[in-house]
Amino acid sequence: MTAIISLFFWLVMIPFCIGLVPACFISPVQRRRNPGVILLGGYFCMWALFGLVAIPAVLWVQYHNFSVASRCFTVLSILCAAAGLLMWRRKAGDYRPELTSPAREREEGIVKRFLHRTWAEKIEWLLFWALLGFQLYKAVAYTSFDGDDAYYVVESLIAQQADVMYRILPYTGGSTSLDVRHALAVFPMWVAFVAVQSGIHATIVSHVVMPVVLIPLTYLVYYEIGKGLFGEQTPGDGERLPLFMIVMCVFQIFGNVSIYTNETFFLTRTWQGKAVAGSLVIPAFLWLLLWIYQGAGKDKERDAGLWIILVCVNMTAGICSSIAVFIVSILLAVTALGLAFAQRDGRVLLRIGAACIPNVIYMGLYVMVAYGPALG
Amino acid sequence: MWGIFLESVVIFQNYMGFYENGYLAGIYLFALLYLWLTEKDRNRRAIFVYAPTLLLVMFFCPLFRKLFVRVLDDSETYYRLLWLLQMSLVSAYGIIRLCGRHRRIGVIVACVAIMACGNYVYDSEHITKAENAYHLPQEAIDLVDMIEPEEGRITVLVPADLIYYVRQYSTNIELPYGREMLIARWDYYHAMYEAMEEAEVIETESFAELAREYPCAYVVLEEDRETEEPLTDYGYEIYGQVGEYVVYKDITLSGE
Repeated sequence: MTAIISLFFWLVMIPFCIGLVPACFISPVQRRRNPGVILLGGYFCMWALFGLVAIPAVLWVQYHNFSVASRCFTVLSILCAAAGLLMWRRKAGDYRPELTSPAREREEGIVKRFLHRTWAEKIEWLLFWALLGFQLYKAVAYTSFDGDDAYYVVESLIAQQADVMYRILPYTGGSTSLDVRHALAVFPMWVAFVAVQSGIHATIVSHVVMPVVLIPLTYLVYYEIGKGLFGEQTPGDGERLPLFMIVMCVFQIFGNVSIYTNETFFLTRTWQGKAVAGSLVIPAFLWLLLWIYQGAGKDKERDAGLWIILVCVNMTAGICSSIAVFIVSILLAVTALGLAFAQRDGRVLLRIGAACIPNVIYMGLYVMVAYGPALG
Repeated sequence: MWGIFLESVVIFQNYMGFYENGYLAGIYLFALLYLWLTEKDRNRRAIFVYAPTLLLVMFFCPLFRKLFVRVLDDSETYYRLLWLLQMSLVSAYGIIRLCGRHRRIGVIVACVAIMACGNYVYDSEHITKAENAYHLPQEAIDLVDMIEPEEGRITVLVPADLIYYVRQYSTNIELPYGREMLIARWDYYHAMYEAMEEAEVIETESFAELAREYPCAYVVLEEDRETEEPLTDYGYEIYGQVGEYVVYKDITLSGE
């Protein structure tokens, strides 16, 4: 029971409350500031925070570096969550008077909105939920063998059992120097943190808890993208959203055309940082850029929260995989070029470029550690 | 340059599963083409049309590939650039737009097409019913429970089948060699691995000598693994058996 409460605290409450910080700077129009966005924003901010704490600990703390990082992260994340609650309390009412009455209607609860839908739509949403439930059932009841677990899962377990981050060779248990390519990607250490806080074995957290968290979170990103594409601005558009989600589900389930696709990674190695990068982080960029650049004039200015999340998603890419930092930078550069061309506005490149500053710092750190003097 | 381009083509074909009759790429390229022709919103066009097209061009560009491999010092991960295409998102968006007013029947047809062109992920031979909450083979867990010390760590020699799992259950068990020996293309050499896995029949004397160098407190062998002479003649005793695995304890180390 304590384990479940702890999991709820660290995997729902803390990210949700942290998510209130960027949410305070997101425009409430078109139901943008909704619980799903708050939770997603919170996760990305929380992971960014974890990277900020854990990477220096890996690089510069010799002994018990996992405890040091865990303690700092616990304090910082609780402080950020408290700040989120305080800011939300202060700011929550600010935009409400500006809402038009249809907008207020849209602010209704999820259950009420569901009940107002047509039978066909209800069936479509139920079908989507069934497909999602099927994927979760498969993730929990079935095991997917992947050789890389001998590295990533064992790294998490070493942190939990030996209080050491990246100083022990996971394959054999011998001591090792820092392998910079893996050492900066601290996602397994976050898994270990969840394991320690909940008192559950890190392997169970990796193989069971993580899919239960990460699969719905990924679909939440797809849902927000779908809302951006098939929002409820024009009649009939909202009805397309459940169909979009169903196609997304079918694509994930049947996307295993090779062992390399991100769809395969998503459902067979959900808990590994690179799978999170491919299925959650990369779509999150598309979500945020879509939302940021399709906002109407004055709302855009209020969406500083989306920019905050964008920066945090960049930082999350770094904790997932060091290669991810490089490839998401390529994605952002290419998309920024396209958006600058579409908007006939070169400043787009500057703005998106500024959001990539964490990537530049990360790559600088990578080069410094890889080619500089050896660390402890 | 032509050679590098052809390599990129092979990576693309492998990624898209052309050799296993996976044609999901066809759906993706069709959706992308449809969006090229019909998407009017300039921002969506930038994100869902220009960016994927530019990324595809970059993927096949030999100069870009050279730069990528040079910067990352790794050619094996080049395929991950294709993750940026977000096949599922672009395809789903294109399909829903294409279906227009006939969206329900259109989506049914599209789903059938995806199923026909794709490959059901849960059919993979690597996905099996979980035996426990750890999602590890029960034999690996029982084995570690049998030999794990109350304090400290021990080195154990296990067959290749167990190498992936033992340390996922307990890091108190150390191994003379690990997963790195099982990946043929990494091409590592390890004398203990050669003696344990590569020899048709284990040469007991040299094997025991090698195992004591680490020193391995336990040696786990498959029941039907052939040895020139029984391990029990060389200072080992049978400590127990888990499924098809026989656990030998090195009694010469017990006093240490």
